[in-house]
Amino acid sequence: MNESVLLKTKHLTKFFPVKTGVFRRTSGWVKAVDDVSFQVYPGETFGIVGESGCGKSTLGMTILRLIEPTSGSVFFEDRDVTTLSSSQLLRFRKNIQMIFQDPFSSLNPRMRVGSIIGEGMTVHGVGARSNREFIVRTLLEKVGLQADSFDRYPHEFSGGQRQRIGIARALAISPKLIIADEAVSALDVSIRSQIINLMADLKTEFQLTYLFISHDLSVVKHLCDRIMVMYLGKTMEITTREILFCRPLHPYTVSLISAVPVPDPDYHINRILLLGDVPSPVHPPSGCRFHTRCPVTRKKCETDEPLLIEQEPFHFVACHYPGTLAISVPLILTSDSTL
Amino acid sequence: MIFYIIRRFLFLPIILLGISLIIFVLFSRLSEYQRLATYINNPERLKSTDLDKLIELYGLRDPAIIQYGRWLKNVFSGNLGWSYVGKEPVYNAILRRFPFSVELTIFSVIPIILLGTWFGVLSAIHHNRPLDHTLRIFSVVGWSFPDFVFGLFILMIFYSSLNWFPPGNLSIWASDILKTSLFRSYTGMLTIDSLLNRRLDIFFDALRHLIGPVITLTYVELAFILRITRSSMLEVLQKDYIRTARAKGLSEKVVINKHAKRNAMIPVATVSGQTVLGLLSGTVIVETIFNRTGLGSFMALAAQQLDYASIMGGTLFFGFILIIGNLIVDVSYAVIDPRVRLE
Repeated sequence: MNESVLLKTKHLTKFFPVKTGVFRRTSGWVKAVDDVSFQVYPGETFGIVGESGCGKSTLGMTILRLIEPTSGSVFFEDRDVTTLSSSQLLRFRKNIQMIFQDPFSSLNPRMRVGSIIGEGMTVHGVGARSNREFIVRTLLEKVGLQADSFDRYPHEFSGGQRQRIGIARALAISPKLIIADEAVSALDVSIRSQIINLMADLKTEFQLTYLFISHDLSVVKHLCDRIMVMYLGKTMEITTREILFCRPLHPYTVSLISAVPVPDPDYHINRILLLGDVPSPVHPPSGCRFHTRCPVTRKKCETDEPLLIEQEPFHFVACHYPGTLAISVPLILTSDSTL
Repeated sequence: MIFYIIRRFLFLPIILLGISLIIFVLFSRLSEYQRLATYINNPERLKSTDLDKLIELYGLRDPAIIQYGRWLKNVFSGNLGWSYVGKEPVYNAILRRFPFSVELTIFSVIPIILLGTWFGVLSAIHHNRPLDHTLRIFSVVGWSFPDFVFGLFILMIFYSSLNWFPPGNLSIWASDILKTSLFRSYTGMLTIDSLLNRRLDIFFDALRHLIGPVITLTYVELAFILRITRSSMLEVLQKDYIRTARAKGLSEKVVINKHAKRNAMIPVATVSGQTVLGLLSGTVIVETIFNRTGLGSFMALAAQQLDYASIMGGTLFFGFILIIGNLIVDVSYAVIDPRVRLE
């Protein structure tokens, strides 16, 4: 792992007000992202996983300040993003680009593909003006589209093709970091693998760093070097892919991994079923947020909030009793030859 | 698209036939004597003539279908009948008055659309903040005002009290000039004709007479465009591609003007087309209140006097205008929105 840090969040927090009544008074707060700190190193793919509603996407957008954080800070190459003025912020966004989940709604229907991809270059002054069309056409071919897509409108493309346009758009201004927010969740499985492979290829070619947000463990496992597991706006566990899938220490991670389907009918795993729903982020449980659903919860978990502690090298866990719940066999690794 | 337009034109006569048939059926419910009234221009003649003979002469007792066929034959030969109200052929009466209504529509629709979209966008950007509330209250008040009430207010203030904007189409001195051979009529619209005749004094006089009805129509119709723009803009601002645009690093101005506004204007364009068509045929009340010559006031008068030749001719004409207008709206829709393909 490199010494330098590309992106670092420190106690990043985003609370959304809950307004009720005739006078729309704030009666509570949705704690979407609560005190999240992590680091992304140049050249790696950092994955963020968690159930829907755990604050993954909010976290991604807070980093770019598409949503203003409530508190905490974001450092990009040692610059504090949260203190940038609005004009500095616009220029700063050249460094980080996002790929969004829904390829159908995230492209402006009234713009041609060429202008969608090229607009960022114009705004940030990337490349000579005369050269831009050529760059865009080259990019289109790089992401596996025909160069004549340049003059067409987004509605003429399929979901997978549109996501390729979204990727080309993000690449056009050569960012250092790409935040992929559920970038493949809306695509069907066959297309999904194509896009994942494309992203992996482009990463090598353009020396990119990815922040990959997903709820799909198998996708994350395939693509990410290090993974952070989130639950109800909090970090549960951060570690490398190998450690996470072999030796997960947090009971939540263990239950998530045990729920991944295995394409072998004779293979029986002891799936750990989590009972009940995810608690409301407006009134999260006291102590450890996971204690209401944790199979191995104890008294201490209800009162004391566990800190994120480095239990072993490169393995951070927020649990009072890490490793209590374990998977008998490191099943994912044995059943998958790609790792 | 060209085939689409041709196909729409093929439907035109069918729709017009349908319209005329409906009106004719309505009129055939009147008694022969009521319908005969439109042929008699002097009450004195009622004493001296045999009404039944006249009814026989005009064939008013024939079966409705034969009467309709007779009317249709006349229409095809360009004869819409004699306008009892206009005291001239219906065809001439309509053609002479229509430019006045077009003129009023043009002058009203410009502020309606410009102010409506501007206020609508402002309202959406300042969503739920004081400016938004102010604009919404302002527009709802206008919307709920009946145009004849608001028109009377305008007349009271700007005519009775201030004497700035008189009713009518022109001052007497100007209409006297219009009757002379010095003034040539090109379009029938006073503002344009006066400019073409290089008579700035008449131009400003015509303008002065337009301001009152224009203010009335603008205030009453503005709310509709404003609300459509506002809701459409609010919807677009929620869209993912707006977030994409912001994530690209575009300034808020570019995001609003280039990405949001252009998409938000699609429904506004359709509604604006409807507003223009509505104004063309719906200026009846405003024209009457401001005592203006125009197709609206002509139709209102014709309806009051059961002048059925004028009503049939006018309805046919409005039908024609509405169909052509809707076609233009549909075609422009495909031009604005690349996703729409007319087939």
